[in-house]
Amino acid sequence: MKLEFSGERALIVGGSCEMGIYLAQKMIETKLHPILTFRNDSGRNRILSHMKDRYEGSFSTLLLNFSDLNTIEMIPKSAYDQLTYLVDFVEGNYESLIAGACNDSVNDYFLNNLVFRAALLKKISRAMLACKKGRMVYVSSTAAIRQNPGQGFYAASKQAAEALYRNIGLELGDRGVTTVSLRAGYVNSGRGKKYLLNNINEPLNRKLLKIEHVTETILFLLSDSAEGFNAIELVMDRGLTSGK
Amino acid sequence: MDIENLMIEILCDILDADASEITKESYLIRDLDAESIDLLELAVNINQQFSIDVIEDDLFLRQLRLFIDEANERNIDLSTYLKTKYPFLENDRIAEIIADVNLGPVLKVKDLIHYVSINT
Repeated sequence: MKLEFSGERALIVGGSCEMGIYLAQKMIETKLHPILTFRNDSGRNRILSHMKDRYEGSFSTLLLNFSDLNTIEMIPKSAYDQLTYLVDFVEGNYESLIAGACNDSVNDYFLNNLVFRAALLKKISRAMLACKKGRMVYVSSTAAIRQNPGQGFYAASKQAAEALYRNIGLELGDRGVTTVSLRAGYVNSGRGKKYLLNNINEPLNRKLLKIEHVTETILFLLSDSAEGFNAIELVMDRGLTSGK
Repeated sequence: MDIENLMIEILCDILDADASEITKESYLIRDLDAESIDLLELAVNINQQFSIDVIEDDLFLRQLRLFIDEANERNIDLSTYLKTKYPFLENDRIAEIIADVNLGPVLKVKDLIHYVSINT
C-alpha cells in the first residue's frame, strides 16, 4: 500500500533517539520534511552524525529541552509553519519502587514529562488548529497498562500523556486535528534494548518488535489512510499483554 | 481589509455563518451560538491574522462575573473596577454590560473589535 500524506512538515519530539532518527529517514523517503528535536549538544550531534551526509537539506533540528519550559518560547514561529504532523517519543527515565521514590525526583519527573508536554501540546495544537489540519502520534508503551515493578511513575506518566493526546483528539478532531497513541511493547531499541540485554528469554524474544515495524506503523498512523483513528490508544506488542 | 470586516470574515469561517447574520452588536454566544471550541479557534485566528498576543480570559470576558462579585464584596464602584480589568472596553460599553449581565453571556462582536484595535 502506498501511503499518502496531505501535509509536508513533521515535528519529531525526542528526535535524537534511535527510533526518531530512523523514522526521520523514512519520512524523507516519503517526501516529508522532519524536524527533529534534541535536548542537548549530544542529541544534536547524534542526529547530525546519522543524517547530515545523506539527507542534508531534507530535515531540520530544533532545541527542545523537556526540563526547561523556556525552550518552548524559544521555538521560532517558522517551526510551526505548515506543521501537519507530530510524533512524540519523549519519556524521561525514572525507575523506582513507589515506596522508595525520592520526592524531588518524582516532582521533576512529572514536571518534565507532563507539565512541559502539556505546554508544548497547547502550542502545537493551536498552530495546527489555525491550519485546520494536524495529526499527532504519541509513542506510548504497554507499560501504561501492564507495568513491571519499578515502572509505576513511568506508567503513570504514560497514561497521563495518553490522556492529554486523547483529549486533543476529542476536542479538536472535528476541526481537523486528530491524535492517536501507540502502545508499543518490547522494542529492540533505546531503553528497551538495555532491558532486553539483561532479561532476554525465548518467550520474550518471540514478542520483540523491530524498530522498522514500529516506525512503519507510525508512518501509517500519520498517513491519510489512518485518519479514522482518533482519540484512541492502539497496542502493538505481538499479543504480549493479552496473555498471562 | 479593516478590523471589523476581517473579524466578521473570521467569525463566518469559524461559525459557518453568513456575513449578513453577523453585526457588531451580535452576541457571540447568545446570538451566534459560539461554543468554547469556537472561541479557542477564534483566539488562534485573531492571534494569527492580527499578529497580536491574545489573553483569552480578557478577550472573552471570562472572569467578568468573578470581577463583579469582587467589586460587590469590596464595595467598589463596579464600572471603575471593570474598567481596570478590561481597559479595552469603553465606559459606555461597560455600562451596557452591567445592565445586561443578568440576561446571559454579554460578549459581543464589537468587544473583539475593540480588543484588537487597542492591541494593534
